[in-house]
Amino acid sequence: MLLDLAIASKDHLSADGRPQRTLADLRLTLKRGEAGAVVGPSGCGKTTLLRIVAGLDREFAGSVALPDHGRLGMVFQEPRLMPWRSVADNIQIAAPQASKAEIGALLEALGLGGHAAHFPRQLSLGLARRAALARALAIKPDLLLLDEPLVSLDASLALELRDLLARLIDETHVTTLIVTHDLAEAIALADKIFILSPRPARVAAVLDIATPRRLMTPQAAEALTQKARAAIASLRE
Amino acid sequence: MIRLASFAAMILLWQAAAQFSDPRHLPGPGPVASVMLEEARSGELFFNLAATLARVAAGFTLAMSLGSALGYIMGRNRFADKILDPWLVVLLNLPALVVIVLAYVWAGLTEAAAIGAVALNKLPGAVVVAREGARALDPTLDEMATVFRLPLKARLRHIVLPQLAPYLAAATRSGLSLVWKIVLIVELLGRSNGVGFKINLAFQLFDVRLLLAYALPFVAIMLGVETFVVQPLERRVSRWRSDAA
Repeated sequence: MLLDLAIASKDHLSADGRPQRTLADLRLTLKRGEAGAVVGPSGCGKTTLLRIVAGLDREFAGSVALPDHGRLGMVFQEPRLMPWRSVADNIQIAAPQASKAEIGALLEALGLGGHAAHFPRQLSLGLARRAALARALAIKPDLLLLDEPLVSLDASLALELRDLLARLIDETHVTTLIVTHDLAEAIALADKIFILSPRPARVAAVLDIATPRRLMTPQAAEALTQKARAAIASLRE
Repeated sequence: MIRLASFAAMILLWQAAAQFSDPRHLPGPGPVASVMLEEARSGELFFNLAATLARVAAGFTLAMSLGSALGYIMGRNRFADKILDPWLVVLLNLPALVVIVLAYVWAGLTEAAAIGAVALNKLPGAVVVAREGARALDPTLDEMATVFRLPLKARLRHIVLPQLAPYLAAATRSGLSLVWKIVLIVELLGRSNGVGFKINLAFQLFDVRLLLAYALPFVAIMLGVETFVVQPLERRVSRWRSDAA
């Protein structure tokens, strides 16, 4: 098991100062090479979950088991590039052991070949997010964390990036945890879908995808959508 | 160009004013230039300018490096801020003259006392500016650095310093002008060389020509440092801001 997440509870202080339970009894595991997608409504605690896995939030009861000295690559919702360093430097600084040629190849693969010397401000959001993805991949992560990787991109760009992500996951077999509010995105990218309940969030259902990514057929996608919808609907009762 | 014209107008105004006043109170540009030349020929001018410049450099470097480090710590650590803030307020409000006299009384009329007094006068200003900068650091980049496990050195160089650069540039600008004024007082009170020492001499002789012959070249040097060192450096570090998509 590469990632074994067991959160007994995670509280947030609400605006009136009272603690509110965000996550409760949440259990989630990923095998090496698996891509898992966490799906849930906005504000249900998905980003909190990702921050706990990333080690950015340690105030919770429970445990996160990751390989010792495992490398984490994360793509935040906002690209979080250093605006004063070029795209290539942004990647090199995060991944000092990566060679110039490796970084060049990665940029090329992500369609950023012409932007290596540009500053992040000169990139559109779509390109900046690709640069952030290149940075996360450059460190050869044991676990890749993606926080709403397609959010606030226009539809055609989102589809393009979705296909690119699917291809990268297929090619590199990087273990990936994706957080998204969009079921279709999860179906297109994951081996396993974790459906979260409303607050306090727990994993309400796990859907295994037998034909992930390039093996996905419209029929299989339709069947998964139905199943997921049924699971989500049963949560509302 | 406009700057140059404005500068020429200033010299003309000086010349005109000199015409209508006692040459002992306000000598014109000509007599001042001739004294300057005389002092330059004897080597006195360069020796004293160099002495003052060295003190400015030493005092400024000491104050800026110590001040930035302290300010950074205070901006990032609430506990350190609480402990050090009263000290900072005291130091901010201590008159330069008191610090200088105390330094000379306690440490003797030495070079170390002189430079220490200069640095101590600039220190609180540098701390305040660096603290503001450290408070404004972007926490999202910090988190990025944490997830990607950037070593401390890389964090400082690629994340902290670029964000502090505008603050440090501001501190440098106000700092250089403040430091050289304080160096003159320090020299006037307890050193036997430097521009301040010479100005003291000019004061005792009531020689305004000599006073200006030393003060003006030094202003020119500081102007040069500002134009040819500080400003290009500032442009370089803010290059990434300029050409957005």
